[in-house]
Amino acid sequence: MIAALASVSKTESNSRPKTVVVAHLFTLAVLLIWWGYSQIVPDYQLPGPGPVARRVGSFLTNGNDLTQLGISLLHVTAAIGIAFVLGCALAVLSHSFQTLHLLIDGRITPFLNAFSGIGWLFLAILWFGLNDTTVIFAVTLILLPFTIINIGAGLRELDRDLLELGKSLSPNPLRRTMKIVVPLLLPYLFTALRTSFGVSWKVVLTAELFGGNSGVGYLLNVARQEFDTETIFAIIFFILMFVAGSEIVLFRPIQRRLDRRFARGQ
Amino acid sequence: MANKRTSATTTQRLIADGAVVAVIAVWWMGARHLPAFVLPGPLDVLKEMARFLIDGGTAYHAAVSFGRVVVSVTIAMSLALALASVVRAAPIFDEVVERRILTFFNSFPSVGWAILGVVWFKISTPTVLFIQTAIILPFCIINALAGFRQIDPDLDELGLSLTRSPIRRFFKVTLPLVAPFLIAGLRVSYGICWKIALVSELFGASSGLGYLLMRAQTTSDAATVFACCLVIVLIFGVTDYFVLRPLAARFSVNQDHAS
Repeated sequence: MIAALASVSKTESNSRPKTVVVAHLFTLAVLLIWWGYSQIVPDYQLPGPGPVARRVGSFLTNGNDLTQLGISLLHVTAAIGIAFVLGCALAVLSHSFQTLHLLIDGRITPFLNAFSGIGWLFLAILWFGLNDTTVIFAVTLILLPFTIINIGAGLRELDRDLLELGKSLSPNPLRRTMKIVVPLLLPYLFTALRTSFGVSWKVVLTAELFGGNSGVGYLLNVARQEFDTETIFAIIFFILMFVAGSEIVLFRPIQRRLDRRFARGQ
Repeated sequence: MANKRTSATTTQRLIADGAVVAVIAVWWMGARHLPAFVLPGPLDVLKEMARFLIDGGTAYHAAVSFGRVVVSVTIAMSLALALASVVRAAPIFDEVVERRILTFFNSFPSVGWAILGVVWFKISTPTVLFIQTAIILPFCIINALAGFRQIDPDLDELGLSLTRSPIRRFFKVTLPLVAPFLIAGLRVSYGICWKIALVSELFGASSGLGYLLMRAQTTSDAATVFACCLVIVLIFGVTDYFVLRPLAARFSVNQDHAS
């Protein structure tokens, strides 16, 4: 058995570099096609990799552009934070008070889940005007159902035997929460955070484009009106790097550790 | 015990429905003191919503949006299935699909697709389909890949011994095995399409609910904005309850659990 496992991991480590090579070749091929195609179509439709790279460089040295990037980051962080706290509160309320269960899981969550993100955005514009509040409000309400659902799932899956065991070990409910419930919820809290992060970057640009007066989405709007496709590409590049980078550097390693720590039945 | 239980669910019902009534009452009271372009009353919104049933022009916009969403979800799911099948047939492309294509689409901002779609293809229905497909594709890929990965090798082996036709095997063995994941992906991407991908109609179309929303927004017609939002909630809720949920239950892995 062990020998078989060892041989499997060996073949895996042998074939792994090959898939990586193929992946790099694929990236190269895409860049080449992009370059080739950009030679035949006008610049405003598809600027080549060269001009886009130059624009990315100028973005990094321009103070104003960097400030806008920082503002977007603030919007995202604020929205994730608020949605997380609200989502936790609602999920915990629904879990601990039976009478509220139907209201939260049967009315509020499905409603939030079905409500269009664009709808929240336009309502926020009507209510708050074009500013940061609008952006943060819209993104928060889009994220909220994701957090309620994830954390609610975690609470439902809590191992009852372990909770029972905890009751016999400590009479202090706060201590039990910190030592048993929170660690058990960790994978779900993490998933909620990971999903929120991905979704928020996707929608924050839309929110800033229509409802904001600052942030990268606002820059995008200006670039769109001026047919400045290079800037549009540069902004998309930053978002890609940011989201993909944090996935690879931050979320995936943590997920792997959590998976290892919480794997059941092995 | 049973009695206690029913009384518990009755209180739950009372609180849940009472809260809904309370929200509508507060809305109605608030709307009387606020200008209509900030908060239209429930009745005005209801009237606006009724127009979706009566007025052919408004109903047309809703139908157009629905059609586009269905077509985009179908295209995206087929593409995802094709990609996942390629990975299964040739594992050498695993890294390409998962670390390149998936990461790329997953990180791409949705409004980026909307702007580029309009720059490339002008304002038209194919543009909307392109934008929506690009936005929901990563969700479909994630589920298709997960589905193919979970296939029981023994069942696969069994299929191999039963028939030699790969097409038959695909439809009789592979597809039913990945169905639960595909349905889950379908539900997620259908929801995302209504909620986020509607942005495509703000830029790329001269019809559809997104276009209606945009037009109402520019004229500060809050009642129509509310009505559009609620119509979306209705369409999504009804189709999810009557089509997607039964489908998910039908193909659930834990059959006994579902019934």
